[in-house]
Amino acid sequence: MFQVILKRLLMLVPVLIGITLIGFLLLQVMPGDPASRAMGTRASPEELEAMRRLWGLDQPVWVQYLYFLRDCVTGSFGVSIFHKLPVIDLVAARLPFTLGIVLYSTLIALLVALPFAIMAALNRGNPVDSAIRQVFVVLIAMPPFWLCYVLILWLALGLGWFPTGGVGDGFAANVYRLFLPSLVVGLSTAALIQQSLRSALIDTMKADYVDTARAKGLNGRAVFLRHILPNSLISTISIIGVRVSWIIGGTVVVEKIFSVPGLGSLLIDAIVSRDLPVIRGLTVFFAIMVVIVNLITDICYALADPRVRLE
Amino acid sequence: MMNRLNFRAVLLATTMSLAGLAAQAETLRMAMGYDPVSLDPIATSDNGSIWTQLLIYDTLVRPDATGEKLEPGLAESWTVSDDGLTIGFKLRDAKFSDGTPVTPQDVQFSIERAASEDSGWGRFYRPITSFEIPNDHEIVMHLAEPFTPAFNNLALFAAAILPKAEVEAKGQAFFDAPIGSGPFVLKKWTRGSALELTKNPYYWQAGKPAVDDAVLEVVTEPSARAIKLEAGEVDVALDPPLNQIKDLQSKPGVVIGEVIPYRADFVQLNTRYAPLGDEKVRQALNYAIDKDALIKGVLYGAGKPAASAMPVMAYADPDLKPYPHDLAKAKELLAEAGYPDGFEAEMLVDSGIATQRNTAIALQAMLSQVGVRVKIQMLESGTQWETTKAGNYQMSLSYTTSDTIDPDQIIGFVAVNPERANAYHTEWKSDRLNDLYAQERQTVNGPERGAMFQDMIRILHDGAPYIYLYHPATVWAQKDYVKGFSVLPTSNFRLEDVTIEK
Repeated sequence: MFQVILKRLLMLVPVLIGITLIGFLLLQVMPGDPASRAMGTRASPEELEAMRRLWGLDQPVWVQYLYFLRDCVTGSFGVSIFHKLPVIDLVAARLPFTLGIVLYSTLIALLVALPFAIMAALNRGNPVDSAIRQVFVVLIAMPPFWLCYVLILWLALGLGWFPTGGVGDGFAANVYRLFLPSLVVGLSTAALIQQSLRSALIDTMKADYVDTARAKGLNGRAVFLRHILPNSLISTISIIGVRVSWIIGGTVVVEKIFSVPGLGSLLIDAIVSRDLPVIRGLTVFFAIMVVIVNLITDICYALADPRVRLE
Repeated sequence: MMNRLNFRAVLLATTMSLAGLAAQAETLRMAMGYDPVSLDPIATSDNGSIWTQLLIYDTLVRPDATGEKLEPGLAESWTVSDDGLTIGFKLRDAKFSDGTPVTPQDVQFSIERAASEDSGWGRFYRPITSFEIPNDHEIVMHLAEPFTPAFNNLALFAAAILPKAEVEAKGQAFFDAPIGSGPFVLKKWTRGSALELTKNPYYWQAGKPAVDDAVLEVVTEPSARAIKLEAGEVDVALDPPLNQIKDLQSKPGVVIGEVIPYRADFVQLNTRYAPLGDEKVRQALNYAIDKDALIKGVLYGAGKPAASAMPVMAYADPDLKPYPHDLAKAKELLAEAGYPDGFEAEMLVDSGIATQRNTAIALQAMLSQVGVRVKIQMLESGTQWETTKAGNYQMSLSYTTSDTIDPDQIIGFVAVNPERANAYHTEWKSDRLNDLYAQERQTVNGPERGAMFQDMIRILHDGAPYIYLYHPATVWAQKDYVKGFSVLPTSNFRLEDVTIEK
């Protein structure tokens, strides 16, 4: 196991070199330059030139690339043009909120999806199953920005149970403040999980080894917990893995509406202002996170299903 | 026994009175849409950073509340020599927030820093070539040649006065916990989320600021700002969505404020593109636009029609009227120019701003009435900027804003060719206007210089290298217990006079 993890982490190196190259070249062809974004209507051409010189943007592309590689290796991931801070510091300030939403929303998703998936699978074909299905189809179809505002208007403005947005100091404050944004993200994850887990459970229930287990005389509860559920979780784990990779950088809409300073909005703001070092640094950082999440996903497969071997 | 009871009673009374005192500490909470990136005045140009800096630092002079002239800041008084080459300032007894006095050396250091190579604003301050410090309260600045905007530029945030010793000792780290002589001090900065300010105990305006703390919350989503105000989480919400203003106004305890800042919205016309090279065609497009309808429909009434690409600021000509909405005249001009059936043109629009998108759609409908068929091309703002800069466009919906109260900066940008941007990339050129611009910069402030600006703006109005649209208002929503809050025409706000009267 340990060796496998080590091997996977080593595989990060070629992946990252590829990512740095692609990320860097894509930014070279992106129109817009940070100097004119920063100075807007005020600067003369000479001043724009001076700005570019100051930020090292007048260097040949390959020199800029080497600087970028150096910054990745030394761990700073470059220095933001506008914030004047190492990208890693900007990421570190926002990572707790993003990770908070990742873990919190996944927890909510599991709490919502597992009972309903099991209930639906056990009541396959009867009205309970179809009622649950209809509710979750509505959940899938709800656009997150809309759900955000519905929850704000209802739970925050109407009932006053939650703040309308923003983050707080410390763990407890944020468990409270991040609840609504995590609920929005969590409910869409739950909708995905519920549907696939329900069908996986139904498939597994038909498997021969389940019949065998019953034939051995195991009671229904033990058969379900020991054989059916673990064997059905593979698809759930895949979905969570993919969702987590996405949530790390992709919850901009939810972050903006709830004023959560997460990594997604950092990326969007950097793109709008053409803060090239931040865009590049975040691209590499996201790539690292995706590889790590995939690795954790694979480990979870092995834990859930002993037949899966990590090689 | 008695003693102990007494002690308890005293303790209880003390705690209660302390609690009472604490309750009196007033905090003003605001939601703004911009996330400040840096508090270094020479390295920033975004609204969030500028607005925050102006609460922490002082400048020698500053725009007054009307935005029409400058009032004393750190300088108590000043003299400008008749040839415009010498500006003398008398400093007031002011202290930085660490208690050290503001000296002429700090002033010299800050202005030299603003003029340095590392500054994004160097051009504004390089005309000041030398300094003279006759005593602890005076500083004299010398210019090699007359440059009238220099004085105004000292009111800009980039010329904020910083403590020399501190900045030299700490370098860039100074700006993580900056020290200024302004009304507020930075207490805590959670990037992307909020800035907490507390009052500067040494502030030179005795008894101000009236509030003890001010929190600037970063809420980039306009609807979320309005909701925060409604939920009572903030006292002031800047720039709520325009379509929610009526609704907000009807809520008890909510007041809407409105100010027309230094901003003008327009459509850039690339005069190198065949039909748009003809002045008559450009004027026809101006006659074809119903500005009042735009303001009513797109801005929900929050704005004024524009007569030129210049914001309405010092020296503005009250007699210059916007192009009237006159379709017959527009058709006539188009026919005279040889386009009786109109023509086709593509208009670039920033896809990220709802108001811009709505305006573009309205313009498309209005121009189609005179036969001009506009194709709208939505672009991300950076791409739009680059495309117009490269001259690769026909029409582009855009705007300009001014940080200073003097029109020199903006006219140089929107009307002078070549200068900085070839008349904002319209490539339009008026030799007469160029001459006036050169003269204005060497003429001492006064009616004569004012007349030059009025002439220039009239030439710009007639030449019509833009379709002039409107001056949109800056709107804010606030609770009625907040008194004395207003946005200035320079778009920033001062908080030292704000009180909370619950």
